[in-house]
Amino acid sequence: MKTLTRFFGMLVACLALLGWVGFGTVQALAEDAASAKPETVAAAPGVTAAADAHVHAADGHAHAAGEGKNLLREIGLRYLTAYMFCLSICVGALFLLFIHHLFDASWSVPIRRVVEQMAALLFPWMLILLIPILLLQRQIYPWLSIDPAGDHSLEVKRALFNVPTFNILLPLLVASWGLIAHTFRKWSIAQDKDGAAIWTRKARVLAAVGIFYFAFSLTLGCIYLMKSLQHQFFSTMYGVYYFAGSVWTALITVWVVTLWLKIKGPLSQVIHQRQIQDVGVWFFAFTVFYAYIHFSQYFLIWNAALPEETFWYVNREQGSWKWVGFTILFGHFFVPFLVLLNQDVKMNPAIMVPMCGWAWLMHFVDMTYNIMPTYGPLKMGPQVSFWDPLFWFGMLALLGFFFLRNFRSAAPYPLRDPRLKEAITHHVIPAPGAAAHH
Amino acid sequence: MSASVARPHGLLAEFETPADVMNAAIRCRDAGFTKWDVYTPFPIHGMDEAMGVKKSPVGWFTFVGGVTGFFTGMTMIWFMNKFDYPLVVGGKPLFTPLYAFPVSYELTILLGAFATLFGMLFLNRLPRLYNPLLKVERFKRASNDRFFVCIEAADPKYAPEATREFLADQCHAMAVETVEE
Repeated sequence: MKTLTRFFGMLVACLALLGWVGFGTVQALAEDAASAKPETVAAAPGVTAAADAHVHAADGHAHAAGEGKNLLREIGLRYLTAYMFCLSICVGALFLLFIHHLFDASWSVPIRRVVEQMAALLFPWMLILLIPILLLQRQIYPWLSIDPAGDHSLEVKRALFNVPTFNILLPLLVASWGLIAHTFRKWSIAQDKDGAAIWTRKARVLAAVGIFYFAFSLTLGCIYLMKSLQHQFFSTMYGVYYFAGSVWTALITVWVVTLWLKIKGPLSQVIHQRQIQDVGVWFFAFTVFYAYIHFSQYFLIWNAALPEETFWYVNREQGSWKWVGFTILFGHFFVPFLVLLNQDVKMNPAIMVPMCGWAWLMHFVDMTYNIMPTYGPLKMGPQVSFWDPLFWFGMLALLGFFFLRNFRSAAPYPLRDPRLKEAITHHVIPAPGAAAHH
Repeated sequence: MSASVARPHGLLAEFETPADVMNAAIRCRDAGFTKWDVYTPFPIHGMDEAMGVKKSPVGWFTFVGGVTGFFTGMTMIWFMNKFDYPLVVGGKPLFTPLYAFPVSYELTILLGAFATLFGMLFLNRLPRLYNPLLKVERFKRASNDRFFVCIEAADPKYAPEATREFLADQCHAMAVETVEE
């Protein structure tokens, strides 16, 4: 009964979020209709629109280049970079939970508690870490201080891009992911006590409903957090672009953390070669998926050559930012792709542990590529400052501490999951020579 | 070749369950046989390890095929659009890897898939029009409900009597029969 109430509560919350956005859109459309009436027919709408777009492209450029040096703004943006990196690991882990339950997977049962604890960091920690971004919002997001009446691209997007919606929706999004992650974890821990299959069943229903909400809400979340830094930009692939990089980063993190916990002891009995290899295979798949998505975003924008889209990449081809782009192309795709092509590599810690460091660096570079070109003169290229490692490692250390604390508070793996036996007894073949002595 | 001196192809051992054939495979592997195979109606997880089958080299065919496909696509579009029939489309350069990429990528997959298929056939010496096992009556159940191990006479460790005893006594086969070439 309690879970039913909770389920309906979540449903209502999701509907409220959608309603809020829907209401805003309707209102915006109504205002558009009202403001369109007094105007007589424009002489050449096509030309006006094109000119408008050019103005905005230049506008975006001016904003990006002309914000000037401002310590608070710099701190805000560098903090945001670290935040987006850490959020990646948490939402990536949440996605792995959805997939585990949707496919009724057995192989991933032994690693599931690790993933649950990682995703559970979304609440309250990622929500608390969001506070500085909300406090510095005027510094970080120029659009919050622009009057939509004088900015066409902001005007047409004002259903989402307005101060109250931003301030209400953004914390709600992060909190809702946290709520879902905590629900998964709570049911999983409840199953440790009674071993009842109902918990698995419930989690599957939540995953089936939640994956749709997750897709929309993650897109919305990264539109607010990253894309709105240059609010004139359009890209329908932006959400899936952040998602692909997030799951990629989360997978290699899970690989290293599970191996470490296996060596350290808590998971030594349940993690076998199979789990390690399959997470590695999954990481390899997302290496390709990320490249596919980022190439598609670039290629479509390049091919269509619409100024309101191209300015975003034109900004990022100024000065040495161009080389950051190439670093992502080669370092985020070609290097991991070629290294991981061989099957055995995916089980080799001597390669996979350095690969984790490399993937973290590349994802951080990717986040920097999205965020930092909006600060300072583009010609200067990327500027590394001591704030970067401070926020990045500081946030990771904080989250790592709370991860370990969470991990110790419950069993290290789902003790009585109906699929656990299947996961750990599969593929137990004596090595050559072992059977000969019988 | 006259019927009276038919050469043996090998020894065929029959098993009733996947577990039996798995244990037999482990014993054959550890006994050091090299020319032998297991026949089952469905794939059995872990059989590769039980048989001690090494990683297939077919991936190298895939890799070479994929690389060939990628560079074929790039050079084809580079030659056609830059030299053979230069045509400016949408103000884009005559050649850039960007628009050549989707085609090259598709060719990577296509030639990679072809190389995988034909590499697999080549490594398995397929297609093969004749296999001595097909004339054995009991072997028909290999596609239904029985599990078989066949140790070939060409195996250096093969000895008609000792191998038969090995299969019957140590591997606990239900039945062992000599298959003629």
